Amino acid sequence: TVRPKNEVEQKQLCAFGEYMAEILPKYIQQVQVTCFNELELLIHPDGIIPVLTFLRDHTNAQFKSLADLTAVDVPSRQYRFEIVYNLLSLRFNSRIRVKTYTDELTPVDSAVSVHKAANWYEREVWDMYGVFFANHPDLRRILTDYGFEGHPFRKDFPLSGYVEV
Amino acid sequence: QTTGLVGLAVAENPHERLRILYTKILGVLQNIPKDAAYRKYTEQIVNQRFSLVQTETDVQKLQDKLNSGHIEEVIVQAENELSLARNMLQWKPWEPLIEEPPSDQWRWPI
Repeated sequence: TVRPKNEVEQKQLCAFGEYMAEILPKYIQQVQVTCFNELELLIHPDGIIPVLTFLRDHTNAQFKSLADLTAVDVPSRQYRFEIVYNLLSLRFNSRIRVKTYTDELTPVDSAVSVHKAANWYEREVWDMYGVFFANHPDLRRILTDYGFEGHPFRKDFPLSGYVEV
Repeated sequence: QTTGLVGLAVAENPHERLRILYTKILGVLQNIPKDAAYRKYTEQIVNQRFSLVQTETDVQKLQDKLNSGHIEEVIVQAENELSLARNMLQWKPWEPLIEEPPSDQWRWPI
């Protein structure tokens, strides 16, 4: 069986995506809606805090809840890491994904000033990928061992690590 | 009497508070260039809510008409919109794109 296509929701998300692109042309590079009705905003890294505060505070887009903050490593690109924020709006019951990019050495603004929940998620991204977050209150390792060297989730880190156990 | 929500006290005289907040928001929006989409849409929303607040004096009926939860939540939302408008003056998001991404950045599958 195939999941039925929800045309109404697709149109609503497309309309909302166009609304966003019209209001914030300085930071939004692309807007896409997947076939599973998921809206994604592709952002320039300077615009993380403006876009996230807009999504949190604006009346038509009250995305008060940060559901997830992750990163994706694509080593063949110039900016290899892609930071992904998943937001949920409780008032309108809808989700949105915000994506940014960075390479290994460029710091990214911390989302902690916008969403307090981003604290440990950003620590995890720092620990696992090595993406530095500027203005983070307490950026240190969270999952790896105390003297661990390296960033495990990168694609060039071997599966069984460098140290023999 | 309570709102039923943790941390939100019942607002006495919500019409007055909303009137003050909406006039402040409209004042901040005047400083944004007239052709910015943000100013257009936010003025539309604020004027719509403002007219509803001014015409409807009963709190329950106003809550139903606004269809946005309790009046105290509407007040919180207006305060958020005000701080957002003030921040928008600093960030100026209506300017054209800062920087194009590299051409293979958002291609998927790679």
